[in-house]
Amino acid sequence: MSTYNMVKQEFIKKWITTLHMLDCSVEHPLNVTERKNAIKLSSDIAMAAARSGSTVWSRALISRSGNKTANKPVARRILKKARNRLKNRCLTLRRNGNFTAKSGVRKRTELLKSLVPGGELIKNKDYLIRETLDYIVYLRAQVDVMRTVAAVDSVTGNLTNDNK
Amino acid sequence: MDLTGGFGARSGGGGGPYREPIGLESLHLGDEFRQLATTTLTPDNAGGSFTALLELPPTQAVELLHFTDSSSSSQAAAATTGIGGGDIIITPPPPPPPPLHSFGGTTLTFPSNSALMERAARFSVIATEQQQNNGNNNNETPTSSVPSNSSDRVKTEPPETDSTMENQSLCPNQTNRSGKRKDFDKKVKSSTKKNKISEETEKLPYVHVRARRGQATDSHSLAERARREKINARMKLLQELVPGCDKIQGTALVLDEIINHVQSLQRQVEMLSMRLAAVNPRIDFNLDTILASENGSLMDGSFSGTAMQLAWPHQAIETEQSFHHRQLQPPPPPQQWPFDGLNQPVWGREEDQAHGNDHSNLMAVSENVMVGSANLHPNQVKMEL
Repeated sequence: MSTYNMVKQEFIKKWITTLHMLDCSVEHPLNVTERKNAIKLSSDIAMAAARSGSTVWSRALISRSGNKTANKPVARRILKKARNRLKNRCLTLRRNGNFTAKSGVRKRTELLKSLVPGGELIKNKDYLIRETLDYIVYLRAQVDVMRTVAAVDSVTGNLTNDNK
Repeated sequence: MDLTGGFGARSGGGGGPYREPIGLESLHLGDEFRQLATTTLTPDNAGGSFTALLELPPTQAVELLHFTDSSSSSQAAAATTGIGGGDIIITPPPPPPPPLHSFGGTTLTFPSNSALMERAARFSVIATEQQQNNGNNNNETPTSSVPSNSSDRVKTEPPETDSTMENQSLCPNQTNRSGKRKDFDKKVKSSTKKNKISEETEKLPYVHVRARRGQATDSHSLAERARREKINARMKLLQELVPGCDKIQGTALVLDEIINHVQSLQRQVEMLSMRLAAVNPRIDFNLDTILASENGSLMDGSFSGTAMQLAWPHQAIETEQSFHHRQLQPPPPPQQWPFDGLNQPVWGREEDQAHGNDHSNLMAVSENVMVGSANLHPNQVKMEL
């Protein structure tokens, strides 16, 4: 179980960093939606940065997140840090709206490609499956961490409310 | 591990139903092969390459297969394929559980799930290191040459002439068939030296695919078949990773499940981030302080909402054992918190003890392994910021 824990810890470390950076850069107060987007963005970046290596999905996720944070220089700083460790490749994601797949498997692989970030750029079905595998592991780590943090949060929220 | 005669069966290992190699009984692979197999297996397992992970089930299948094979002597090739196919299809389902136990050993509520997460995570983490070191091919092909090589042994006696013919047709096409040529030549010379052949082909970094009886021997189709086997192997691993996918037959449905799983995970991320945003006024919501004490529970998965120590982190982060303390220590009233039965008796004990480090009580609580290193990181990060 230790490797999965390592994954989670990597994610946590990166997430703390990104959250702090984002927090410093943005002016308060934000409404809920903005905060949610910021949190999600930071966790996505953290997830991809934790996996910054030779996976297509992590690079694609980082480049996609880069587009979202065009007006936040600090987030870009994070992305630059992550990007420096990756190979230099420009990934532009184009979403195809229509799936013109003939058979069931074909259709589903198209769908999977649209789900996994950067999947559309992968021609080989073999690599697509490998990427999906990796992506699932990291997604799960992300969900686990967020869930426990949320649980912790709710508890502390109750506590502080009671103490007042 | 008794692998005699099972070499052929290792082949289809990661893939779906694989047919019994023809002439299996004639492959009296002796000690040489056994050595070879163990040496190829163990370093791979230590290194943790992906195909090595796949090879574990096949070897288990091989064990079982060997016992079923030894009983059924193959007189006719067709009969053998029929029987062997039947045997082999039955045996794969038992093998997966043993590899899981061989990996983790830790009993969790969903052993297959977590052990496979472990494997997949290890694959993803370690494979990148290896890729950075070597280059993908060197890693993949030596190990993949084993399964695909063994995958189909053409029956040696009759198609010797055929093999030479197909050998000649294939050789000019691709250079990676050269290993195969040596193979074929040797087979033509002596059918008894299969051990050496298997050795040599093992060492070559090519993907060897043999044509099964009755199948096309076109180089393209062979490559296609190799590719398909790879894909099937990966699909198997995906199947095991996604819960509830084992029973499903067919690629399309498995892909469906995988898609659903990915979508649900992404939706969960959305909801959780919304939840976190709703609770906290700031974006970084005391994450570092919370997580300093949270790392242990993350590893266990058994604590839900333990130990919130807001003013915590500066104290005992030194040792792993004091970490256990930390989880259970906080002065604020613990009764309100949703503890499981484990924590409450420890609470009582905690109050009696001083801040000292009497950990014997706590060691049973969690199975943290990497806690020590984990503790330092959040605080280091915090201090950097």
